[in-house]
Amino acid sequence: MEKNKTSEDSIKILNRRSFIIIIVGAILSFIVSLRLFSLQVINFNFYKKKSVENKLSIKLTPPLRGDIYDSKKNLIAGSSSLYEFAVFKNLSKDHFQEIKKLDSLINLNLNFEEISKQLKKYNEYSGFSLSRASWDQIVEFEKNKFLFNSIKIIESKKRFYPYQNFSQIIGYMGQPTQSSELYPKGVFHLEKSYEKHLKGTPGKIFSEVNAKGKTIREISIEKSIKGNDLDLTLDLSLQNYAQSQLPRNKKGSIVVISVSDGSILSMNSNPTFDAQIFEDRENNKIQDLLNDDQKPLFNRAFSGFYPPGSVFKPISALVGLQRNLIDPQKEVFCKGHSSLGDRNYYCWKKKGHGKVNLKKAIKESCDVYFYELAKKTNIDHIASLSSNLGLNKEYDIGLSNIGKGLVPSKKWKKAYLEESWYQGETLITCIGQGYNQTSPLQLATLYSAILNGGKYPIPKLDKNTPTKFTGKLLNNEHQKIIVNSLNAVVQEPRGTAHKLSISNPEFVKIGGKTGTSQVVRIKESEREDDQYKSKEIDERFKDHSVFVGYAPYDKPKYIASVIIENGGSGSAVAAPIAHKILDFAFKNNV
Amino acid sequence: MFKEFKSIFNLNWIYIFILLIIFWIGEINLYSAAGGSLDPWASNQLIRFLFFLPLFFLVIMLEPKFIFNFAEIFLILVLIGLITTLIFGYTGMGATRWIRIAGFNLQVSEFTKIALVISMAKYFHKLNAEKTIGLFKSILPLIVSVIFFVLVAIQPDLGTAIIILALGLVVIFYAGIKLIYPLISIGIILSISPILWTFLKPYQQNRIQIFLNPDLDPLGRGYHIIQSKIAIGSGGLKGNGFLEGSQSSLDFLPEKETDFVFAIFSEQFGFTGSILLISLFFIMFLIPVLKTFKLTQAFNKIILFVLSFKIFFEFLINISMTIGILPVVGVALPFMSYGGSSLLSNLIICALLLNFMSINEKKRMFP
Repeated sequence: MEKNKTSEDSIKILNRRSFIIIIVGAILSFIVSLRLFSLQVINFNFYKKKSVENKLSIKLTPPLRGDIYDSKKNLIAGSSSLYEFAVFKNLSKDHFQEIKKLDSLINLNLNFEEISKQLKKYNEYSGFSLSRASWDQIVEFEKNKFLFNSIKIIESKKRFYPYQNFSQIIGYMGQPTQSSELYPKGVFHLEKSYEKHLKGTPGKIFSEVNAKGKTIREISIEKSIKGNDLDLTLDLSLQNYAQSQLPRNKKGSIVVISVSDGSILSMNSNPTFDAQIFEDRENNKIQDLLNDDQKPLFNRAFSGFYPPGSVFKPISALVGLQRNLIDPQKEVFCKGHSSLGDRNYYCWKKKGHGKVNLKKAIKESCDVYFYELAKKTNIDHIASLSSNLGLNKEYDIGLSNIGKGLVPSKKWKKAYLEESWYQGETLITCIGQGYNQTSPLQLATLYSAILNGGKYPIPKLDKNTPTKFTGKLLNNEHQKIIVNSLNAVVQEPRGTAHKLSISNPEFVKIGGKTGTSQVVRIKESEREDDQYKSKEIDERFKDHSVFVGYAPYDKPKYIASVIIENGGSGSAVAAPIAHKILDFAFKNNV
Repeated sequence: MFKEFKSIFNLNWIYIFILLIIFWIGEINLYSAAGGSLDPWASNQLIRFLFFLPLFFLVIMLEPKFIFNFAEIFLILVLIGLITTLIFGYTGMGATRWIRIAGFNLQVSEFTKIALVISMAKYFHKLNAEKTIGLFKSILPLIVSVIFFVLVAIQPDLGTAIIILALGLVVIFYAGIKLIYPLISIGIILSISPILWTFLKPYQQNRIQIFLNPDLDPLGRGYHIIQSKIAIGSGGLKGNGFLEGSQSSLDFLPEKETDFVFAIFSEQFGFTGSILLISLFFIMFLIPVLKTFKLTQAFNKIILFVLSFKIFFEFLINISMTIGILPVVGVALPFMSYGGSSLLSNLIICALLLNFMSINEKKRMFP
């Protein structure tokens, strides 16, 4: 029995080895504890953050876009919620098959080719909107929901434009083009330039998700913040009225601005379009619109540039007065033409105006008077005063494709046509033909500058921008002479627009200037002649009819600038339209 | 074959108490791993525990002499079991680890550990060495250990195989091999480890590479380690509180009820809870170990020491895996990981420990 007992020495060895193993075990435990200390105490914040990031999902909810109002708080662009079918590329590889399935289940008439083209460049995590979902379609979809992994119904916001006549100013919205953009954005005119102001802030739904991305619960909701509203200077009734006054079958434009602060009260262009078709994604209509050779997207009020014709004459007169080139009382004899070198420059009135002083020259729009003035003047003086009075300027009022136009000068001609200036060109420029290019909005501003005595308010569309004045003061005497002459155009017999005060005596009394913008060189004598309109001339080659007027003539409040392309003479077509519009604005106190 | 019934009153009740506490912590943990639900893990594990209790007491009541006599038989039984597993085994998750016995899926490799330790204890007891043991006398147990290592490793179950080999080596070391041999072995292993690397399966190589740098594959194979570290790290000093572990309740943590169960625990109970758990396991390890110093029979000493060490060793390996200081090789956390074979084998070990702790060596036991 004794020998079966383990020896004393062996027991000692076993006990010694025990200690070694216990110590090793203790050291290992200590290492593990140190590591836990490092993870849980020292680097706690790092792992806590990782853990929070793991489980949080942020879903954005679209904000309502700011509304756009006219000056009297009539809504002209608003937003509403709607539901759409949207495909999320990241949710299923078979998303395209599912789109086809959806189309056959619910007759959506989707254009697969177009969708596949757009889907390719689309961010895979934001839903690509396929089509609006009506209530019946939503019900049908929900019944078959299990068939679709990548298609969901999402809430989105939609713009609506109740008045088509504002489309050319408000512009429209487009789909996001970059993956960083989540929602439709303004792509034209005010919708584009006021994007930041209007778009608002998306809401955030923070929710806890599991490893598969399924929402377990919503933690907090930050409501979306509606974009800022935009109040415009435009007047709904005037805008609609002016549009109705533009001849349906003619291209043309009307701009009405306020004399006191430069507010644009209405701004129309014909033909026009309906911005709603972009929101409703009526692709056929959009295609027709883009292919229309009448260019309805083109707003003639600020993108259309024409030779101003005789409405330019006050600038020439002012240069003459400022430079002491003319005495307003001194008469020039108009025999129907003026010669420079071996060339004759004709007055529109073939038989001549006879003795003409400055007032009569403006009132009856005598070209010879201005030819004589032009012979003494320098084109650069004309150019510099034009720029002072609002021409040759691009107004920064949030409109797309707003142009600068052209006021010719020696330097300009050298730079662009690489030719020196000819005196004959000064003659043509002084009556508003030649290289001169002005937009209807610029002409309205020019007359505002004249009526305001040189320092004029910069045109504005945003009601909340402060009125800013620019320009140089004119000599008070000179300004009075010009304004008196402009009043005489309508108010005195033989004025080129005197017919207005005879045919509509009950209308507000206005002043203004007629103009005819030459498209092709026709007989000089036929310009400004009322009979012109009856002449059989190919429509395309007829001159543009121009009129810039203001009302009331003694205390100007409104300026209307009208151009009717290929309309003929200013007095026959544009002037009566301007008179009606000024009367409407005055009577309705817009 | 069995002891007298009254010997049950001589059991170490402190040890039983600690065992119950650890098991209960495991139950609470499985409950929280299921997001505050007994179903599917906590209730199943409890049923298994209750089902295994009779066997637990049966083992406690076994005569140590019976265990001594049948040591080789146990070893042959697990050998047959392992070979059967390899041939007829039930395959799951790319490995053939289980055989079906009476409607249960049994993982024979778990019981290999016990049988190997018992038979090696008998071997060294019979050797009855006077002093430290030479290389020649250690060869046989070493070969046997390696055979079992290989049989389990080709299932493949590298984690269990490593534990088996490690236990074999610990027995040889504990029994008193000359210190020079382990030191030489460590030197050799370090120098040939690059060759061993080529013997590893690609997924095992991957696991080790990703262990060294989990960010190599954050959503693939590195995912386990990264998510486990996030869970544990976000527990902080005090933990997120019971059922408040977001990493686990939101399914970010894979295998959270088995190999990564410690992450669930640590996320909820933090550094404080983790240290408490380590302390509990360490005390559980020390209680049988302290008893060995009073014993004079090598067989009793080896069984008590090495089997107690086995539980603590597996505990350390498992949490080292979850905190990223060892590669993920698949070692369960004793009494806390969900799984029947691991629970049964650990309960048998505890029963053996309780049995041997109550030994009265004044009686002659072994030939």
